[in-house]
Amino acid sequence: MSEQVADAPQDSPRDDHEADAGRDPLSMLFQPGAWRLERRLYTRPVYELYATLIALAVTAVIIGLLVIIVGVSPLDAFASLYEGAFGNRESALETLVQATPLILTGLCAAIAFRAGVWNIGGQGQFIAGAIGTWWVYDTFSGLPAPVLFVAMFAGAAVFGAVWATVASVLLVRYGTNEILTTVMLNFVIDSGLSWLLSGPWQANNTPYSQTERMVESAFLPRFFDGSRLHLGFALALVMAVVVHFLVRRTTLGFELRAIGVNKQAASYKGISVGAAVIAVMAISGALAGLAGAGELLGLHHRINFEFGGQAVGFTGIIIALVARLHPAGVIVVAIAFAGLLNGATQMQVGTGIPAALVDVIEGVALVLVLLAAVACRYRLRKIAHHG
Amino acid sequence: MADAAQSGAAAPGENILVAEDVTKVFPGVVANDSVSVEIRRAEIHCLLGENGAGKTTLADILYGVYRPEEGQVLLNGRPLELHSPRDAIEAGIGMVHQHFELVPPMSVIENVVIGTPAKQWLDLTEARRRLEEFFADYDVEIDPDAEVGRLSVGEQQWVEIFKTLYFGVEILILDEPTAVLTPQGIDELFRILRRMRDEGLTIILITHKLKEVMDLSDRVTVLRRGKVVGTVDTADVDQRDLARMMVGREVLMQADKAASTAGEPVLEVDEIHLRSDTGRGSLEGLSITVGSGEIVGIAGVSGNGQNALFDAVVGVRHPETGSIRIAGQDTTESAPHRIATLGVASVPADRIAQGLMMDFSVKENLVLGNQRERQFSRAGILNRGHIDAFATESIDTFEIKTPSAAQITRTLSGGNLQKIIMARELSGQPQLIVAHQPTRGLDIAATEYVRRRLIQERDRGAGVLLMSEDLDEIFQLSDRIAVIYDGRIVAVTEPDATTLEEIGMHMAGASDTDQGPP
Ligand SMILES: Nc1ncnc2c1ncn2[C@@H]1O[C@H](COP(=O)(O)OP(=O)(O)O)[C@@H](O)[C@H]1O
Ligand SMILES: [Mg+2]
Repeated sequence: MSEQVADAPQDSPRDDHEADAGRDPLSMLFQPGAWRLERRLYTRPVYELYATLIALAVTAVIIGLLVIIVGVSPLDAFASLYEGAFGNRESALETLVQATPLILTGLCAAIAFRAGVWNIGGQGQFIAGAIGTWWVYDTFSGLPAPVLFVAMFAGAAVFGAVWATVASVLLVRYGTNEILTTVMLNFVIDSGLSWLLSGPWQANNTPYSQTERMVESAFLPRFFDGSRLHLGFALALVMAVVVHFLVRRTTLGFELRAIGVNKQAASYKGISVGAAVIAVMAISGALAGLAGAGELLGLHHRINFEFGGQAVGFTGIIIALVARLHPAGVIVVAIAFAGLLNGATQMQVGTGIPAALVDVIEGVALVLVLLAAVACRYRLRKIAHHG
Repeated sequence: MADAAQSGAAAPGENILVAEDVTKVFPGVVANDSVSVEIRRAEIHCLLGENGAGKTTLADILYGVYRPEEGQVLLNGRPLELHSPRDAIEAGIGMVHQHFELVPPMSVIENVVIGTPAKQWLDLTEARRRLEEFFADYDVEIDPDAEVGRLSVGEQQWVEIFKTLYFGVEILILDEPTAVLTPQGIDELFRILRRMRDEGLTIILITHKLKEVMDLSDRVTVLRRGKVVGTVDTADVDQRDLARMMVGREVLMQADKAASTAGEPVLEVDEIHLRSDTGRGSLEGLSITVGSGEIVGIAGVSGNGQNALFDAVVGVRHPETGSIRIAGQDTTESAPHRIATLGVASVPADRIAQGLMMDFSVKENLVLGNQRERQFSRAGILNRGHIDAFATESIDTFEIKTPSAAQITRTLSGGNLQKIIMARELSGQPQLIVAHQPTRGLDIAATEYVRRRLIQERDRGAGVLLMSEDLDEIFQLSDRIAVIYDGRIVAVTEPDATTLEEIGMHMAGASDTDQGPP
């Protein structure tokens, strides 16, 4: 019986991507003629990588054309952009500084999106993380430094997680759309922060809405003299590895990928969709919270009303999507985006192109990468034409 | 238009419609590979073949839906250039698809005249007169003003058939028309089709059921994997011959099965009520018991509560009243996970939507739901070595055709998808197996395999609750047969103590034939 089954076409795996023109027996039947777009059954991951790279190349071309319209040589523009981003040791390290929160907020979005939960609240969870950090700092300032650091990061993670959990509980209990709730919670925490900064946490003897400056023993160690690169960068890299491990190698990761692929089948197979959503949102929020702690302890050392002005939470969403939700991709894309941010100032000074061009680059890259992701599920094929 | 087709018409018995070396290619499959068929005037010609054999594709070519890459279609000896179904209808060829093309909120009469060519004057009174004449003539009780969406599927099918006849077709193609009918509905359909043939209509009927071919057809063309195996006079063959042509080898027509020895009850469903969101398919006080070592077959037309029963037993939905006990424990309110740990295996009706993660690898699907078992993970970390070993073993024992355990599930065929589910569900030596339409859409080899497995599990001592619309399957496998109708079990009997007709009556709501087709 098994031999009989073996040669039945219905029973052989349909491996259409292997069917290249040369080896495909069907291609004999085709004469040169019309092209047809066909959906692939399965897209090999390398194709997705190629498609992403092509999309980024096209982005560069489009931006180049824009720059020409402004009247600047694109080569000059890109050169000064690159110079500002990675041109020397100092700027390269500064790029990594800027990449640090972006890696974490990118992971925040990536892990939630993996589970099919649309957490758009990375920005608010980032702020919540900073608030949590400050609260621990303020409350347990007597702790010895190493313990205090752990406590502050834990506080940040917990606050970020709790803020995300508000949305996930509403989603699981009442079916409230998480896109709406997470976006609205961003505004809520902004107001909450303003209140803290102009009230209970406001520094003495100052008209500004800001906290005191932290004591130096609570500063996160920096790696090199003359660079702001701090321990938070290492933490971000570690978290990328952790997220990768969690998603690929744990039962929780298995379950959250499952609900991301097919919620109905997941619940038929005994996976509690609600529990998985709560868990993934908490993890997602914690990652953004850690970004908040890193920025506070590594760079700013105080919270003021400009804290979070870079909107790293939102950029993280774009990074996650451009990286196709892969943690390693998030690192690469976050560093590239940080390079753009960092290089833009130099470009503006050198060529007069507004630094806001970076926003355009990000937007164009996002749209093209998403398009490429869809496009690589198809292929063009020549078919015989009968008129 | 019928006149045009009649000029130069073939006399009865002569070829009217001929496909010559027709080839049609879809991505990755040659759906029709140099297919030649000759249809004679005023015959009932069956196209027989397994799922995926290319029957629908061939019919769609004859009906102008697809244009073949190679070959041609001849009508009355002349090449036929069809650019669309409209051309086919004008040439006198009509088709009723498996999925009806009716507009549910519109009335029967509106649905019939909807295809009237723009250049033709639309006379509703005349249309109604002709339609009522048709219905009266063939004893079909349908109100021309009824909203189509409210008709039963059987009645909708009649609307489709009369719609094509209204436009005066001479050749009627029916794609698996019996799939939606009860046994009585099938008898009715066949009676009328025979009469239409006697009156000169040429009928092409697509099916994968041998019995229907034997009952109805004058000649039969068997397709296998896109190729014609042969055309034979039905009178010259028996079911076994046809099965051999269809599958390409000898087929066991009957699953071998020893008598059962039902033991302790493993499933006791008592008077459950479960309202479904759509209102259709609710449970209205359903009770059924399954003992260990027996297969209880639930026969019924789909939409009578099978989905709700499946969901209630596996715990995806909970009944409002009544109780469910599995292996003696009350599981009325239990979550699916807990029910699974009691040794309940489930094979859902929609294997892609409910049973599998199509974007997961085969091995991941083989452990889906069991990922937290000690065998596959410790302290929340997946044990990849054990998962790989288990997957390799399952792929081997269940004869899953896949290049590797890491293959993405989406690329596998239906039979192999079902084997993944069977392998996963049967791995834990379940006490109770709930299977809903376990062989729907599978080819004969895979169907045989699944049925054999279910019998093996029964012999091992598992209780099996089998829900199926395929009465042959119910009769072959069941130790007891229960009929579900309108959310209740309306009859329980044994296969030897009943007949197909009797079960069919119950499926249609006992004597209440209003629910069935006309
Ligand atoms: N529109 C389509 N696109 C791609 N493949 C198709 C399409 N229609 C049918 N096929 C493939 O062609 C083969 C024959 O299908 P079909 O004619 O529907 O078979 P049957 O009606 O005998 O079950 C199958 O392998 C099916 O997957
Ligand atoms: Mg078909």
